[in-house]
Amino acid sequence: MLTAVKNQVRVCALSIKYNIMREMLNQVTFLMNVTFMILNNASILIQWFILFRLREEIGGYTMREIMVLWGLTAASFGLSHILFARVYSLPELIVSGKLDSYLVQPKSVLLGVMTSSTDVSAIGDLLYGVILLMVAGLSVRGFLFSLLFVVTGAVTLTAFALLLGSLAFWFVRVEMLSGQMVMGLVSFATYPDGIFRGISRFLLYFILPVGMVVYHPVHILVRFDGGMLFTVLVYACLLSAAAAAVFYRGLRRYASSSLMEARM
Amino acid sequence: MGIHLGVWNMAVLFYIIRKLVLREDGVMQAIHVEELEKTFRVRRKEKGMRGSVQAILRPQTEEIRAVKGVSFGVDAGEMLAFIGPNGAGKSTTIKMLTGILYPDGGRATVLGIDPAKRRRQLAYQIGTVFGQKEQLWTHLTPYDNFRFFGAIYDIPEKETERRIGELAERFELGEFINTPVRNLSLGQRIRCEIVASLLHKPQVLFLDEPTIGLDPVVKESVRSLIRQMNREFNTTIFLTSHDVGDIEKICKRIIIVNAGQIVLDDSMEHLKYHYLHKKIVEVKMQEETALPQVEGITILKRKGTHARLEVDTGRIEIGDALRRINASDVEDINISNVPLENIIMDIYKAEGRDTAS
Repeated sequence: MLTAVKNQVRVCALSIKYNIMREMLNQVTFLMNVTFMILNNASILIQWFILFRLREEIGGYTMREIMVLWGLTAASFGLSHILFARVYSLPELIVSGKLDSYLVQPKSVLLGVMTSSTDVSAIGDLLYGVILLMVAGLSVRGFLFSLLFVVTGAVTLTAFALLLGSLAFWFVRVEMLSGQMVMGLVSFATYPDGIFRGISRFLLYFILPVGMVVYHPVHILVRFDGGMLFTVLVYACLLSAAAAAVFYRGLRRYASSSLMEARM
Repeated sequence: MGIHLGVWNMAVLFYIIRKLVLREDGVMQAIHVEELEKTFRVRRKEKGMRGSVQAILRPQTEEIRAVKGVSFGVDAGEMLAFIGPNGAGKSTTIKMLTGILYPDGGRATVLGIDPAKRRRQLAYQIGTVFGQKEQLWTHLTPYDNFRFFGAIYDIPEKETERRIGELAERFELGEFINTPVRNLSLGQRIRCEIVASLLHKPQVLFLDEPTIGLDPVVKESVRSLIRQMNREFNTTIFLTSHDVGDIEKICKRIIIVNAGQIVLDDSMEHLKYHYLHKKIVEVKMQEETALPQVEGITILKRKGTHARLEVDTGRIEIGDALRRINASDVEDINISNVPLENIIMDIYKAEGRDTAS
């Protein structure tokens, strides 16, 4: 059992390594992508600096909390897109029958698919997020916790995309809905939760898991709450299990295709 | 007590495996298929914009039975051609046997393993080559790809190196083993695909149109390598192809499917014997003369002094047919069998009509 897990991890690691090697084939494009993503993210933060010159607090957040919020969102998004970029294009793979090569291998289909591609600009997101968390003035303990939340955020975000993407086994043209929901989650995750009230707040905590990806973690980093930490960890595990279960249930309906295909 | 229970468990397990994979005469069966079924549900849409609107308001689906109760067995070490026209259900069958698709009915075992239930366990024992679908990473070299496949099949690194060396020599990959796959020619790529599928020494090799798009020289080399694998390692070969050359030069047995059903299951030898009752006679006469109008002789083509006749030896002896031609006028003559391609095409048409009606 342990050997099987070790071998699976080895294959996933190799797959991720090869993905990054592919992106590094063109050094200039690689470095430009990473650098411009950092600059792009930084330019948005300037808007917040300007807003906080007008008001001391927005939605219960100070500039420091906004930096933590942005750090967690960017780093979680980056980590998820570096390791599991293919999850975000899963509906296309399902509909056009491109899972065959993963199904004939003696390893987990899900992990094989998830780790089969990377998004190079996400390296910029991850670097930017970690730098923000470093300069946000967190204690060492707080910083270590923030790294844990980057991982739980990436897991929750990936599981959410997987859950929605797997619906393509049942419904066609689900990629639009899936893409919009994921981008919605990421967009809301860059605003303080205090500005949302009523139904929108309910949506952000119970439909789009923004609350679990960033809001709860920011609150924990401001004032530690063991119960909230437990909720975040359990939610990440449960959502992952549910997403995997839906994927494998849907896999029974997979219809393959006779289209020409190459593993890029 | 533990030891005794262990012995009993082993005995029962052995009995089950024996029941699953051995034929009545004791020959090991690599593949066993019983009443296998697969139905696809596809959306139906009327033509035009109106049809598109209707499809949103009242979506309609129809069921397509791609495989309709197919049963057959393949012995270990056998080389089988599983052929049929486009849409006959051959790729669907191969995908059910490799665990890609779940069957809707019936039962299939490959090496005693149910592909739908134990896909991963089966994957260690089988190899797959899909001519139209690349399994290799295009930006990596064949060498890096093989190392990756070694990891996938849990082969220790030293052993992977040894097998890569051995297969690279046998498949003559030396010149391009360190060139990225995307820069390889189609023939080189297919050879690499086959090597990648053989790295874990599979007992059954599924080949879905492995020579598609290849030139005749590379085709012949691929066929020879497949035969070599079968000869040296007793690898069971399950081949689908539209290329008659593949079928004729690799396989000893042929299963023809049409409209989701098996329409012929015979040895290549029998197929040729039963269906080769027609001969093609091509004659070049010295001058234009009348050709025999006899039952059993059909004039296929006539142009000047050249003529192409089909002689049905079931109706007229070939000797009798030749005697009807004025020998003193013959400048050149050639007698040949009907190409296997035509035989298969006739079976497709005849059986297709039968099943359709």
